[in-house]
Amino acid sequence: MNNFKIKKTSIRWVVALKEEAQIILEHFKLKAVNEKTIYPIYKNEQETHWLIISGIGRSNAAASTAYLYSFSKASKYTSWVNLGIAGSDKGNYGELYLVDKISSYQGKKSTYPSTIPKTYLPKMHLFTSDIPISDYSTYELIDMEGSAFFDIASKLTSKEFICLMKVISDGPENDIKEITKSKISNLIKENLLKIINVISYYERLSEEEFQITKKPELFYAIKSKWHFTAAQSFKLEFLLRRIEVYCNNRDLEEKIKSCKTSHSVIDVLNSKIKKNIVNWSKF
Amino acid sequence: MIETIYVEEAIQNHPRTKFILKKFKKSRIISIYKYGEIFNKKNQNFRIQKANPCLILAHKKDNFVLPAPEGFGIGSSKNFYFSHMYNCIYDCRYCFLQGMYSSANYVIFVNFEDFDIAIKKTIKKNINSKLTFFSGYDCDSLALESVTGFAKHILSIFRIYPQIEIEFRTKSIQKEPFLSMKPMQNVILAYSLMPELISNSLDNKAPSISKRIRVISELASKGWRIGLRFDPLIHSKNWKELYKELLEYVYNNISLNCLHSVSFGSLRFPKRMFKNIFKLYPNELLFTSPLSLNNKMISYDIEIEEEMTSYCKNLSLKYINEDQIFKCSI
Repeated sequence: MNNFKIKKTSIRWVVALKEEAQIILEHFKLKAVNEKTIYPIYKNEQETHWLIISGIGRSNAAASTAYLYSFSKASKYTSWVNLGIAGSDKGNYGELYLVDKISSYQGKKSTYPSTIPKTYLPKMHLFTSDIPISDYSTYELIDMEGSAFFDIASKLTSKEFICLMKVISDGPENDIKEITKSKISNLIKENLLKIINVISYYERLSEEEFQITKKPELFYAIKSKWHFTAAQSFKLEFLLRRIEVYCNNRDLEEKIKSCKTSHSVIDVLNSKIKKNIVNWSKF
Repeated sequence: MIETIYVEEAIQNHPRTKFILKKFKKSRIISIYKYGEIFNKKNQNFRIQKANPCLILAHKKDNFVLPAPEGFGIGSSKNFYFSHMYNCIYDCRYCFLQGMYSSANYVIFVNFEDFDIAIKKTIKKNINSKLTFFSGYDCDSLALESVTGFAKHILSIFRIYPQIEIEFRTKSIQKEPFLSMKPMQNVILAYSLMPELISNSLDNKAPSISKRIRVISELASKGWRIGLRFDPLIHSKNWKELYKELLEYVYNNISLNCLHSVSFGSLRFPKRMFKNIFKLYPNELLFTSPLSLNNKMISYDIEIEEEMTSYCKNLSLKYINEDQIFKCSI
């Protein structure tokens, strides 16, 4: 794993078309990466947001999601976002919907993405098709990538870190053949504020998860001074996490500085925790 | 507020499904095939879900009544448990449910009648034994009573068998259906308690200890039999003072004639569950306690456990008999 390289906020966008991505690239100041890549990839200067243009269809969505994961060294606490247009006759043209259920021809079972809590944004059931569909009556939302994106993204992180957002672009009243590049860009642009609002939730989520799962501050410093086996490293991390809650690092460094071996470091830490008596009245 | 309710297709028209859904008119209802599609899948984050849990209405297929693990009893020769619900609305940091499921969503099984059949069968099969059933092993047995009505339903079975005990273990201050019913001597309303100061830090989203004690007192005064569960006992700087204050307050404020049993249990986690829970809440103060691995369980050192248990037991003996005191060891 590449955890040590990850930034505090970590968002990965998977978007089928450049026109769908345009306003996102502009708003988050994402620039094309300076390397030859299988799919076009963009990132911001801080490398907290990465975006891949997947192209249309399930295979592209799956392959590009996996590719972006590997290329951008995404982590377990990276949030994954699929943004795009979709067909519908149930929703309103031009409106943004969150997806909380996905079906496809291929999957026998449906899948159930989580959505941002306490939101005023409407939610819909997405059907991912391999071919453009003109009969909108059976499904709430129709796209060509969502299910494949979710299937892969949910292998990379918990489903609470995955978000699918769709803007309705076509339906019985709005012929799919009339969709143009500029219409697509405008549809996404008109929903930019809502999209930013959703993304800020996922930014917070990945940052909080980073804070919770990051190794204790002293972990690498201690490991660089003594040799720890894999089992000892695990113990060291477990003890440091607990001690850090109630003891400052300087005191701890002072306590272990005369230790000769990793074994004695663990002994010192063990005895420190053994002596700790929680004072609940402080909290 | 429950934002999303998943409902299994097979029970969409079940009267109890409709009854429950009526209470959540603003929730989004999503149809599912099986609750396993949502619940306890690997790629879920318990902590994040716990902040905004969904409800899943499902049909339970088997294992309605199960033998209780050894060490769970309160005096009967055979103990069984059943759970009409998985997971709990409270968020207590020592609870094993955090490490048991990867999902924090609540599952409610609506086919209560299948529990009735299984309970009756179990009673028939063990007719010569003293039996106790426990409701609420995988959940809090009364916390969602206003939504499910399960306790009210299941009491009708135990009314037929006055010799068979049922314990409802809870932290809730739900007084119904008990307050409006004639007390049943085979029903034990068992309340988990710990010093208020510690509870404030650990019993997240649960009613305060003082509120729980008020309800205990009210139900005892109506003649319901009460169980007091000081489980887990939590170690702290001034634990003796805190537990003395709590025990004396409880014993002085409830009708001791209605006290069925008191049990004490140390803080303990199966090793695997502790690993999961610690991963979720590594900065939790509780885990800075002197915990270590003893017999595949993460717990306080044996000296601490024994000192706390015997201290609380000795204090209790001033008010109750020894045969009313039990040890929770599972």
